[in-house]
Amino acid sequence: MKIAIIDYGASNLQSVFNALKKIGQTYAVVRKPEELTRFEKVIVPGVGAAGSTMKNLIDSGFAAKIVNLKKPTLWICIGMQILSQFSEENETKCLSVIPGRVKKFSRVLKVPQIGWNKVSFKKTSPLLKNIPDNQFFYFVNSYYLDAPPKYVLATALYGIAFPALVQKGNFYGVQFHPEKSGDSGLQLLRNFCELC
Amino acid sequence: MLIIPAIDIINGECARLTRGDFATKKIYSKNPLAVARQFEKAGADMVHIVDLDGAKLGRPINKKLILKIRNQIKIPLQVGGGIRTVEDAESYLNAGVDRIVIGTQAARDLDFIKKLLSTFGRERIVIGVDIKNGVLAIDGWTKTAQKKYTVFAKELRALGVSEIVCTDIRRDGTLTEPNFTLLEQLQSYGFNVVASGGVSDTAAIEKLSKLKLFGAIIGKALYEKKISLAQAKRSAELSNLTKRIIPCLDVKNGRVVKGVNFKDLKDAGDPVELGKKYSEEGADELVFLDITASKEKRKTVADMVKRIAQNIFIPFTVGGGIRSVREMRILLGNGADKISINTAAVLNPSLIKEGSTAFGAQCIVVAIDAQKINGEYMVLIRGGSEVTKLDVVTWAKTVEKLGAGEILLTSMDRDGTKKGFDIEFLNIVNKAVNIPIIASGGAGSPQDMQAALIQGKADAVLAASIFHYGKYSIKGVKKYLQSKVPIRL
Repeated sequence: MKIAIIDYGASNLQSVFNALKKIGQTYAVVRKPEELTRFEKVIVPGVGAAGSTMKNLIDSGFAAKIVNLKKPTLWICIGMQILSQFSEENETKCLSVIPGRVKKFSRVLKVPQIGWNKVSFKKTSPLLKNIPDNQFFYFVNSYYLDAPPKYVLATALYGIAFPALVQKGNFYGVQFHPEKSGDSGLQLLRNFCELC
Repeated sequence: MLIIPAIDIINGECARLTRGDFATKKIYSKNPLAVARQFEKAGADMVHIVDLDGAKLGRPINKKLILKIRNQIKIPLQVGGGIRTVEDAESYLNAGVDRIVIGTQAARDLDFIKKLLSTFGRERIVIGVDIKNGVLAIDGWTKTAQKKYTVFAKELRALGVSEIVCTDIRRDGTLTEPNFTLLEQLQSYGFNVVASGGVSDTAAIEKLSKLKLFGAIIGKALYEKKISLAQAKRSAELSNLTKRIIPCLDVKNGRVVKGVNFKDLKDAGDPVELGKKYSEEGADELVFLDITASKEKRKTVADMVKRIAQNIFIPFTVGGGIRSVREMRILLGNGADKISINTAAVLNPSLIKEGSTAFGAQCIVVAIDAQKINGEYMVLIRGGSEVTKLDVVTWAKTVEKLGAGEILLTSMDRDGTKKGFDIEFLNIVNKAVNIPIIASGGAGSPQDMQAALIQGKADAVLAASIFHYGKYSIKGVKKYLQSKVPIRL
């Protein structure tokens, strides 16, 4: 089996399954941290709030294990945000993989941000192969990860230019939902599965 | 916010003044047409041309040159200076000038403005509110009218004026900063305000965009190269989030049906196939509204959601008779992205909170149907058949507070009429909440959608029949809207 999808009891996994199936990848749901060793890559899907996500990851034993993984990992939406040190959402201490803080969007614009936003590349990465610059991806978020530029692969604009994709070593974070972003989203998932 | 570079013309040349004083004249180019072309090339949203000789003398002087510019560039043009009669106005507007700015004559003669508004439409008549020490300035700013700008603003509002350009003369051409307080005050009357005077750096432009002004005129700062047009454009953009075009499919017993007001329903095909077709045409999201009344309803909906999620990789919402968190969990678990609730939310508002807490606000769309009754928009339930005692503003605020992520707002007065969206209704709700609003009810053409997205400030538009009957394709609608609002193509 190639891809592990972590089920920590918080998120809706069906869309990620469907997308992986569509691009012909084999995957399995993992509910126990010790099972992760059997897989080449790990996806941490995410829908929900920082507080409950961190609590679920800690309680299930995943938190301690996944930060030490050496294999490629893809963190989607709230998954990307908890790679930070701290989230202002529920005042949550996060995994501290990437230095930075998760902040709420200013109310100058509507919150949550819901819809297709343009993603501008800042760095090259295998994750972005065969995806044109300035493509649209589907976002749903009220918070963003304020990360140092050296980790930012791409940004989008919503009141502020915020990180849409981050990377530190084998940790890849994506703020939008590739499983819901049409062909470009599927391409990104394919890149993660085949090239990262 | 629109970035509008200015060309002021004196004696056929491109000039700038400081605080409107002709003695401070500085010529930047002998060829205003070339300047306009440069602005167009650099991405200006509109060009603002002032016939300064005309403003001073009270009749168009540089009109020939201005119309020549009109014919040579493609972007919208706004022209002011010396337009004092209906004939002057007509000669510019009929020659393709998009908007004319009336200053002096507006301060003197409100009937004139009334006539212009009714002849040419409010969006083409812009009133120049030029202010010097709290009172109106006229005649190329050489004199002041004995009228406070607050009084004037109220008069304009009563006439139905929607567009104004506000210049604080003390700041014009000074490269300082705009008078933000003044602009905000004028905006609070309900005008689309274009700021002019003192717009000289990216910080000012950012601040103006955050105030949600309609546009900013930039003059001297561009000519003195304090800022480039490209920089100004970047600072004016707050977001690249696109407006969403959402087809809505009615589903009965697992099949898409078409009909007028749920009568004479005809089978229109498989939801997955139709959804896929719309997705490929560029739909940004899909809404499936289940109208099945049978006992097997729940199972057929759950099966349908599963099939949609396996085949379509854009977000979709499911609605129709969902009453509990348990039902939501099944549908979301099968791959739906959002659940829309309507009657159930009115009867049991805590359902919004429970759903939002369990799955996140982004999963909960509250659909609100409303109708204008005795001048007030009242909420309807049970497919519009029952009037409640809730007014739409109170209900919209309540659902936001309870954790709804979006509002799907339907005007029952317009639903199925194809007469266009109810813009007033959209504005009332938009002012009350800060979550996205999907406009629904009345879509008859791409122009209607444009109005809902621009004047109605909706975040998305929902439409059914105009797509289902093939009158417009999603791609066609999006191509039409592309130059007007941010659109994903």
